[in-house]
Amino acid sequence: MSEKPFLQLKNISKTFPGVKALDKVQLEILPGEVHALVGENGAGKSTLIKILSGVEKPDPGAEILIDGHPVNIRQPLDANQQGIAVIYQDFSLFPNLTVAENISFGKEISQGRRLVNWNENRETATKTLEELGIELDLHLPLERLPVAKQQLVAIARALAFKARLIIMDEPTSSLSRGEVENLFNIIRSLTQKGIAILFVSHRLQELFTIADRFTVLRDGKYIGTYRKEELNEERLISLMVGRKIDFVRQSRSSRGPVLLEVKSITKKGHFKDISFTLHRGEILGLTGLVGAGRTEVAQALFGLTVPEEGEIILEGVKVNIRSPEEAMGLGIAYIPEGRQREGLVLRQPVAQNISVTMLRKLRSKLGLLDAESERRLVEEYMEALDIRPRLPQMLAMQLSGGNQQKVVLAKWLATRPKILIIDEPTNGIDVGAKAEIHKLLRRLAEEGMGIIMISSELPEILAVSDRILVMRRGRLVGEFTSEEATQEKIMNRAFMGAPAGLRPKRGLQGDRG
Amino acid sequence: MRQLSKSKELWIFIILIVLSALISARSSVFLRPDNLIDLLKNNAVLGIMALGMTLIIITGGIDVSVGAVVAVLTVIIGKFMVTLGGNLFLVFLVAVGSGVLLGLFNGALIAFANIPPIVVTLGSMSIINGLMLYYTNGAWISNIPSWFIDFGQITLFKFTDTAGNTVGVPIQIFIFLAMVLLTWALLKYTLVGRAVYAIGGNLVSARRVGINIARTLIFVYAYMGFLAGVAAVTHTSIMRQVDPNAFLGFELQVIAAVVLGGASLTGGTGSIIGTVFGVLFMAVLNNGLILTHIPTFWQKIIVGLIIILAVSFDVLQRKRMEKSLPKIDVEN
Amino acid sequence: MSRTSKERVLLYVFVGLFALMSLISPNKFLSPGNLQSMATQLPELGLISLGMMVVILTGGIDLSITYTAALSGIVGALVLSAGYTGGAGEAAAGLLIMKALLAILVTAGLCGSLNGFLVSYVGVSPILVTLGTMTLFEGISLWLTKGGAVSGFPEEFQWIGNGYVGFVPVPILIFAVFAVITAILLERTPWGRSVYMFGCNPVATYFSGINTKKTVMWVYLYAALLAAAAAIIMISRYNSAKVDYGSSYLLQSVAIVVLGGTDIAGGYGKVVGTVIAVGIIQVLSSGLNLIGINRFIVDVTMGALLIGVLLLNYFIGKGSLGKGVKKDAQKANTAL
Repeated sequence: MSEKPFLQLKNISKTFPGVKALDKVQLEILPGEVHALVGENGAGKSTLIKILSGVEKPDPGAEILIDGHPVNIRQPLDANQQGIAVIYQDFSLFPNLTVAENISFGKEISQGRRLVNWNENRETATKTLEELGIELDLHLPLERLPVAKQQLVAIARALAFKARLIIMDEPTSSLSRGEVENLFNIIRSLTQKGIAILFVSHRLQELFTIADRFTVLRDGKYIGTYRKEELNEERLISLMVGRKIDFVRQSRSSRGPVLLEVKSITKKGHFKDISFTLHRGEILGLTGLVGAGRTEVAQALFGLTVPEEGEIILEGVKVNIRSPEEAMGLGIAYIPEGRQREGLVLRQPVAQNISVTMLRKLRSKLGLLDAESERRLVEEYMEALDIRPRLPQMLAMQLSGGNQQKVVLAKWLATRPKILIIDEPTNGIDVGAKAEIHKLLRRLAEEGMGIIMISSELPEILAVSDRILVMRRGRLVGEFTSEEATQEKIMNRAFMGAPAGLRPKRGLQGDRG
Repeated sequence: MRQLSKSKELWIFIILIVLSALISARSSVFLRPDNLIDLLKNNAVLGIMALGMTLIIITGGIDVSVGAVVAVLTVIIGKFMVTLGGNLFLVFLVAVGSGVLLGLFNGALIAFANIPPIVVTLGSMSIINGLMLYYTNGAWISNIPSWFIDFGQITLFKFTDTAGNTVGVPIQIFIFLAMVLLTWALLKYTLVGRAVYAIGGNLVSARRVGINIARTLIFVYAYMGFLAGVAAVTHTSIMRQVDPNAFLGFELQVIAAVVLGGASLTGGTGSIIGTVFGVLFMAVLNNGLILTHIPTFWQKIIVGLIIILAVSFDVLQRKRMEKSLPKIDVEN
Repeated sequence: MSRTSKERVLLYVFVGLFALMSLISPNKFLSPGNLQSMATQLPELGLISLGMMVVILTGGIDLSITYTAALSGIVGALVLSAGYTGGAGEAAAGLLIMKALLAILVTAGLCGSLNGFLVSYVGVSPILVTLGTMTLFEGISLWLTKGGAVSGFPEEFQWIGNGYVGFVPVPILIFAVFAVITAILLERTPWGRSVYMFGCNPVATYFSGINTKKTVMWVYLYAALLAAAAAIIMISRYNSAKVDYGSSYLLQSVAIVVLGGTDIAGGYGKVVGTVIAVGIIQVLSSGLNLIGINRFIVDVTMGALLIGVLLLNYFIGKGSLGKGVKKDAQKANTAL
């Protein structure tokens, strides 16, 4: 490891409308080091990567130095030419082209070629794969390779570009243990050639195995850069958490009888052995890192996926939920995280978006929609949730994020559900609207609804939930009452799993009361 | 989906062989050289057009104006020869040049104005067809000069078959083969050809890797126009006259041949060899039905059923593959 | 986003065109004969366009619609000609016609179900499914007719395509009834609402507890029903049935639907827009014909209008907010 940095970022800020995603962040990467970039969900890691790779532009005042010289990175091609390669989580490869072509395609294009030299193509591929010390069938179409091998192809492509810094975004999230080990060996051989790796991951154990230095971000701010020897897992977590709590802690409501009982449901590749209960009048917080399987569990309750094993018992009756239509019939509502993609039909008016769940009940005797009842329904819920502006014919896409979320809430509240599952309820919503939605959730719980709230925002989880479940890698790894929970406790579980002695054999006993 | 399509190509090849075996068992004429040569000659135009359509479909697009384009090109060269004379080279130049212009028109609208290919080409089809029929009033052009007719009758590699007839391979088959080779080489050995696959395979990645998407799309539609020009000359050299209505509904036959050859309308897959099999399948089926005195409508029924079965099977297989993909690395 | 004005602009175009034609050749264009002949010709294309529109609203396309019409018409024609012995009593003819109509509806229903099943339950892209079924239906039609025409219908049957109620031709009445029914179904029923929602964003619609598969299934069935209505008028007007009757309507109907303001990507489109667009095309072709301008210029105008309208939309839409959102919805479309 030499001492002259390859890359220096100084004073990097990025403002999105209403949000400061990065605030005067700095980063320094030495040749041949593995540098870990860590932080909670939403700490600003992805934004920083996007700036480095030329997808986003930083606010004015930012400085990017390569080998001590200031550079401009305006588009992905610039980053490539500066020796920076990004391996995206989706790899950005071509499924229908061969391994050899995927490796050498980018190089050929950046050289401005017109003809393809297949021999050279193969040579480039063979050479880079040899450099990596791996063997792959060059003629196989990429989509026939397992994910781990596809990742190696993506690394090879970066090498073919003569990259000096390879950014890896959650590279181990879809690899098995053995594959991770293999990847690490390759990373080590790369660093010996002087290539630097910026490693973004949630898996702390792995980071401590591979990384030399850590840069910690929190709430878009730079916390510090530390050598591995200065840290341990607990200390790292305490650096990452500790976000300001900007929510009013809600008063708790009294909880009623058991509403929903989930008994060790399992779906291969989604989640395993999940058990918990939900009571009337309770807000159950479900947290964990992104990709821990929280949404997958919620979707199983809403009929979007069907578990292979286990039982779902609703008010004492075993139920099979195979579609959202059936879930709705059982009184289950689900508000997805992707509000604009899955929650709303943006090009349709607010009124249509609210009444969509109630179309059958709005029919007159002739089977036609009763315009008057529909108008009343829409008005009632726009009023109740204070959706502004109160224009039912406005298109959903013209509303603010908070009001859009209220429209999604409205359409589900109109069905008078027993269970409301809400995924990242306040994502991308301004603070005032957040508090409003939290109050609303509490009021609904007081009226007897059972609510499962999925959130990555610990302050939100702590402020709103009565009980908190933590998931990690498809499993439940912790349960806390709101009194005993702290950010540190939750993050410890989310990052490291349940302590070995406490790990239950058949899932967690959800109901302690 | 390359591997799937590989197996699709294999499938259509196997079906083609089985079909040929069945027909030759029922009819001794089928495998006779003169019959096979006729079969190829009569489908050279379909084949040439299908090559261009393959490229378009690999990018995820579609072109329903090809029937109108090739029809208007036959009219243009017909009028050109009848009124101005010219020579073979000029005729090719006029056909190909006009074809490329029409293709550029389609391509530019698709690439720059972001209008879906089906709508653009539907519009250009109406315009081209209307103008052509307005101009010709549907009348045939017959007095094609003799030098052009002579060109159409050139045969090479003459030989005597077992029955004692002298047979030669007509020029149109060579034109088709030349276009097959050209298009194959284009797809395989030029960066534009690889960009065609890349765009259809993953548009986002293609942009990230620095491919000029608009230019590639425009090239693809212009190349379709080029092939339409070649096809127009070939067609006229076979028919020795021009019927403005000869290509009504032709576009759907071209698309069907390409789809049979394993290309997926969602883009990214397809190959020249597959398309050639697809064209041969349509040709052999038609020829076989005629030879065995089975009414030719069976061709439609069989082609329709194969398309439905093939695409359904494809979708079901892909769904199964996607289902087996894990979303979360679940800890055991 | 001036949505209501789209149809209004079309209406102005229609009125303007009508006035223009009347001015240019008042005696011919406004003659009862010409008006009646326009009203007889328009409904077939109109009905098929309405069917196409319903499918396009979901972001799909139905290439098989004209052959659905041809096939069901042929089946009906076979029933009619087989049962017709000439000069039978009126009651017998009535019964025979009822049987034929039923046969047409059942055939079209089967065609529509096949499309609907493959698109919604199997999940094949509409253009591929209907490319296959189009070829299949054409083949079956050829099989049934051996390429020829089926004729020999009871005289009473010809009333549907050629008769009048007062001075109004029956076909235009049938078209009017179906246009109203389609408008009511699309705008006033849960199904219609789901169709629009699905066309804009199939994922969000499914996530709202709508049975989207059933919705789409009914879309293709309803399109087939409209094709059947067109078939009835067609075989009655020609007094025969043949494979290629109406085959030229396929791409014309897509053009009319887009011209009528329907978004080819799905989610937006109105019956009134399609109806006016059909009217424009009819006035154009009849009018030009009367003036002595070749009818092929109608095709040219239609193509130019189609591309022109979309280019205009593109340049107006450029830079306005709607664009990114629409791409989102399209992504959602492909995701399903």
